[in-house]
Amino acid sequence: METSRDDVGIVIRSAFLKKGAQQKLSLFALTIISIILIFAETIQTKPLDYLRSITKDIIYRGSVLISSPAVGAKIIGNSVKNHINLFNEYEELKRENTKLKEEAYDPNYIIYENTQLRKLLGDQNSSKQNLVSARVMIDKQSVYLNSFVINSGSNRKIKKGTAVLDGKNFIGRIVDVNFFSSRILLVTDLNSKIPVIILPTGDQAILSGRGTEQPLLDFLPENHGIQIGDKVYTSGKEGIFSPGIPIGEVAIDNSQFNVSLFSDISQILFVNINLGGFE
Amino acid sequence: MSNKFFMAILFKQIRFKFLELLPLILLFFISLNGNSIIDFKFFSINIHYILVYYWVLKRPQSLGYGFIFISGIVSDVIFGLPLGVTPLTLMVLAATATYISLVTVRATLLTDWVSFIFALLISNFVYFIALYFSNYTIDYLYLFKNSISTFIFYPVLWVLFGMLLNIIGANKRA
Repeated sequence: METSRDDVGIVIRSAFLKKGAQQKLSLFALTIISIILIFAETIQTKPLDYLRSITKDIIYRGSVLISSPAVGAKIIGNSVKNHINLFNEYEELKRENTKLKEEAYDPNYIIYENTQLRKLLGDQNSSKQNLVSARVMIDKQSVYLNSFVINSGSNRKIKKGTAVLDGKNFIGRIVDVNFFSSRILLVTDLNSKIPVIILPTGDQAILSGRGTEQPLLDFLPENHGIQIGDKVYTSGKEGIFSPGIPIGEVAIDNSQFNVSLFSDISQILFVNINLGGFE
Repeated sequence: MSNKFFMAILFKQIRFKFLELLPLILLFFISLNGNSIIDFKFFSINIHYILVYYWVLKRPQSLGYGFIFISGIVSDVIFGLPLGVTPLTLMVLAATATYISLVTVRATLLTDWVSFIFALLISNFVYFIALYFSNYTIDYLYLFKNSISTFIFYPVLWVLFGMLLNIIGANKRA
C-alpha cells in the first residue's frame, strides 16, 4: 500500500516537473506563471497596464490577420445569399409598402408621445454628444463572453465604462481599453448589468444579459404596468451613461420581461462611442 | 538527374516538417481565430482541449508546454477572459495527459476516452475556480453541456489525429 502511494507521488512529480525532450519549461513552472498572471490581472499599475495593452493589441491584430480568409468567405457567402434572396425581399418590400400606405397615422399622437418621453428623460437627449466612430475588428461571440473588439483605444480618448452605440441605439459599454483597440461588453453578455427606464410607465429596472439575443429586465417594481412594446432607455442612474439612449422594446417570454434590442448585434460593423461631455 | 533527386528529397523533408508542425499550427490557428470552442445550434465542442490532450498524450514534443501556454494566453485575449485562466486550465489538462501517458501500458481509444473524462473534470474544475476568483460570471450549464459534447466528440478527432500521427511516424521511419 505504501509503495503504491509512493508510485503515484513519483508519477505526479514526474508529470509536473519533467521537461521532456524539447520542453524549455516544466508544467509546474508554467502553472505557477499562470496563477501569477491571474493575480496580476487585479493589479492596476502603469507598467503592467502598458504590457497588457501591447500584448492585447498584438494578439488582436494577429487574430484579424488569421481570421481574414474566414471573414472574406463569410462576406462572399452573405453577398451570394443576398442575391438569391433579392426577389423575395422585393416582394416583401412591395407588401410592406402597400401596408404602410394603407395605415392611417395620427401625427398628433406621435408628437404627444414624443413630448411625454422627452419630459420623462429630462430632455437631455436633444443635446449633441461627443461621439467617436470605430470599426469592429473581432466579433467572436462566445457563450462565455458576448463582446466586440474595436479598432480604437486610448489613442482616441476612449475610456472604460463609456457607452457604445449602434447608430443611436445603446448596445454595450467599454470594458477594456488598449492603445489601439478596446473591448465592448454587449448588453447580451452574462456580466452586463445596465440601469434602465421603461417608458411610458417610467418604471426603472436593471437590464441583465443572459448570453442570449434578448436581455432580461431584473428588479422591476412589484406593481408595474409594463406591456409588450414599451420602450427601454438608459436611465443614467450610475452616472456614466447619458440618460435616454434607446435600447429596445419590451417582449414577454414565459412570463419573463425581456428586451428585444433595436439593433441587430450580429450585423454591426461600425459603432459610435459616447465619450460623454455634452457639446 | 541528381538535381531532381535532391529536389525530391527536399520536398519530402518540407512535407514532413509541415506535417510535424501541423498540430502546433492548428493550435495557434484555433486560438487566434477564436475557434477554441465551436458552437453548433444545440451543442458546442472545445477543440482546444481535445487537441492539447491528444497530442500531449501521444506525442508531447509536437506541441510543447510553452506553446500550449501561449495559445492559452491568446485564447484569453480573444475571448476577453482574465489573462492566465485558459493557460492554467490547459496546463492542468496537459499534466493530466502526461500522468495518464506515464501510467498507461497499452493505450487504446477506450482507455484514452475514459481517462479524458477525468482530464475534463479536473481542468473544468480549475477553470471554474479561476473564473470564480476573477469575479467572472459564465453559464455553468453551458460549460457542463460543452464538456459532455467535447467528451462525445473526442473519438472523431482521435481517429483524425491518429491518421496524422501515423503519417508522421511513417515519414520518420522512411
